[in-house]
Amino acid sequence: MTLIIGTLLFGMYRQLINEQELQTNQHLAAEKLRYQQMALTLDRRSFATQIRTADPKTALVVWRSSLDLVGALSLMPDDMPLLPETRDFPILTSGPDKLHILTGGLVITRYGPVLIATRTDQLATLIERFVNAAITALMLTIVLTLALGYLFSKAILRRLVQYNRLSRRIERGEYSTRLPVSWRQDEFDMLAGNFNQVLDTLEANLHAVRGATDNIAHDLRTPLSHLRIGLEQLPQRPAEELDEASAILIEELDHCLATFDAMLSLTRIEEGQQDLELQPLSLRDLCQDLFEMAEAMAESNGQTLSLSLDQDYSVMGDKYLLFQALFNLVDNAIKYSGEGAKIEIIQQDNEILIRDNGPGIPDDATEKVFDRLVRLDPSRHNKGTGLGLSLVKAILQRHNARIELSDNQPGLQVSIRFS
Amino acid sequence: MKILLVEDDATTTEYVVKGFAEQGHNIETASDGHQGLLLATSMQYDLVILDRMLPQLDGLKLLAALRATGNQTPVLILSALSHVDERVKGLRAGGDDYMTKPFAFSELLVRAEKLMQRGNSAPAQTELKVGDLVMELLTRKVTLAGSEIMLQPKEFQLLKYLMEHPNQVISRTLLFEAVWDYHFDPRTNVIDVHIAKLRRKFEELGFGELIETVRGAGYRLRQGH
Repeated sequence: MTLIIGTLLFGMYRQLINEQELQTNQHLAAEKLRYQQMALTLDRRSFATQIRTADPKTALVVWRSSLDLVGALSLMPDDMPLLPETRDFPILTSGPDKLHILTGGLVITRYGPVLIATRTDQLATLIERFVNAAITALMLTIVLTLALGYLFSKAILRRLVQYNRLSRRIERGEYSTRLPVSWRQDEFDMLAGNFNQVLDTLEANLHAVRGATDNIAHDLRTPLSHLRIGLEQLPQRPAEELDEASAILIEELDHCLATFDAMLSLTRIEEGQQDLELQPLSLRDLCQDLFEMAEAMAESNGQTLSLSLDQDYSVMGDKYLLFQALFNLVDNAIKYSGEGAKIEIIQQDNEILIRDNGPGIPDDATEKVFDRLVRLDPSRHNKGTGLGLSLVKAILQRHNARIELSDNQPGLQVSIRFS
Repeated sequence: MKILLVEDDATTTEYVVKGFAEQGHNIETASDGHQGLLLATSMQYDLVILDRMLPQLDGLKLLAALRATGNQTPVLILSALSHVDERVKGLRAGGDDYMTKPFAFSELLVRAEKLMQRGNSAPAQTELKVGDLVMELLTRKVTLAGSEIMLQPKEFQLLKYLMEHPNQVISRTLLFEAVWDYHFDPRTNVIDVHIAKLRRKFEELGFGELIETVRGAGYRLRQGH
C-alpha cells in the first residue's frame, strides 16, 4: 500500500521535474531565437534598448557590449554554456527573498554574447512543497496501513481465539459444536466450513459406533446371558437331558462366535486388510451355483426361486467372498419375503438382480440397512448376525461393484452392477 | 495312527489329546514351534495338527520349513484366524486342510481321518454300503432296502459324504465344503434343507430315522436301524 503510493508520488515528482525542465528549455530556446532575430534586424543601439527594457518576467537578459553590461542583471557569470545547454547560478537581489536561483545560457549574437536566464526558484519551491506534501501523504498512508493492519489482524486473531475456544469445547465432548461461518466467504470461513464437515462425519461415525455398541451389547449379551443361565442350571438337570441341554448351549455359543467372526471380517474387508484371491469369475456360473444352493431353501419355505441368465460377464474377484455376498442377498430374500413369494435371480451382462415380491423395505431404509448391526425388526427376533448387508456392501465395494436397493412393486429389488 | 499336535494352549491340547486317545490314535504333543519342527522332522507321523500362532516359531514358518525338507506328512492347520485369506495363506504354505478355533472335536476327527487315509492309498471303491443303504459310485444308483431312490446331484454328494463317515457326527461346515466348493460359514439352513429332502425320500420307504440330527453339532448317518 505504502509502497504503491510512494511509487506513484515519486512518479509524479519525476514528471513534474521533467515538465519543469522542458518548459524552461522551451522558454529559453524561444527567447534565444527572439534575440538572435533582433540582433540581425536591429542596429546596436536599438538592440541595447530592447535588452534594457526587456520584461524581467519573461526573461532576464544581460548583454556585454564592449565593456559595459547592459540588462536586468549586474553581472554575467563566467563559464556559462551556450544555449541550449544551461546552468543554474545564484544572484543576490534587494527583495525579501534575497537569494534567487536562475537558469540560463549564452546566445552569441552579432553584437556579442547575450545571457538569457529565467527564474526557476518558484518552481523549485513548488517542487519542494510537493515533496513535503508527498512525504506527509506517505507518512499518513503508512500510519493508516499500520492501524488498519493492526485492527485486521486483531479481527483474525479474535476468530482464531474463538476457533480455539470451540475446539476445546469439542474436545470436552460437545460434539454438536460447530465453528461459525460468516457471509464473507474468506479463507477462514472455508477453514471453518471444512472443519465443520469433518465434525459432521465424525459425529455421524460416533453415532454409528454408539448404535453399533448398543447393538453388540444386545446381540451378544442376550445369547451370553442364555448361556449363563443354561450353565447354571446344567448340574440340576436329569442325566438324560444333559446332552440336549449342552447342545443348545453350544448353539448359542456358536451364534456369538459367528457374530464375532462376521464383525472381524467386516472390519478387515472394509479396511482393505484382507487380501483378495483374485481370479476371473463368470457371473453366469456364480448365479448358477447360487440358484442350485438356494433352490431347496426357497422350496422348503413354500417359495419359488427362478433363474434367468443372459450374456455372460467375467469379473476379477474373490470367488468365496463374492459368492458369500451374493448368497447373503438371496438368503435374505428367502428369509424375509414370506411364504409363497416369488424370488428371481436375474443375470444380464454385468448386472445381477435379486428380486422378490415380499413386503419389501420402507424407502427411507434403503441406505440404513447397510449399517452395521442395524435390523429393521427392532425386536431383533430374527436370527442372524445383523452384519450381513454391511458385509455384502464391503465385499462388493472391494470388487468395484455398486449395490442398490429399490422397490420391486411390491417387494425388494437388489441390483448389483460390476464395472 | 500316529499324530503330532503342535499347540501352545494347554486346554486345547488336553481336549484334542483326549479325543484322539479315545479313538485309539497315538498322539504326541509339542508346545512351541521349535520343539514342533524338531519332532516333525525327526519322527515319522501320519498327521501333523499345527496351531497357526505359536511361540518362537510361527506355525506357517514351521510348515514352510517342514515342506522345505521334503517332508510330505499331511498337515492340518488349526487357527483362531478365521478369515478366508488366512485359510488361503495356510493352504498355500503347504497345509492340507484348515480349521478355525473354536471347533468341535467331531469335525477335527473327520478331517484328520480323511487326511490320514489319503496317505494309505486305499483301493478305489465302486460301492458304498451302510446298513440297507447301497450307493453305486459309477452308475450313481442308490438303493435303500432294495428300492431305488432318485437323488438330485447335490443330495447324492451329501449322502456320499455321510456314507463315507457312517456313525460319525458330521458338522454342517464339513457337509457344506463337501458338496459346494465354497468355503464360508453360510449361517443358514442350506444344509438342513437338503438333508430334509434326503430324509423325506428315506421316509417314504420307512427309513425316516436313518439320518439323525445332533443338536449343536451336525448330522449322523446311522448304521442299520
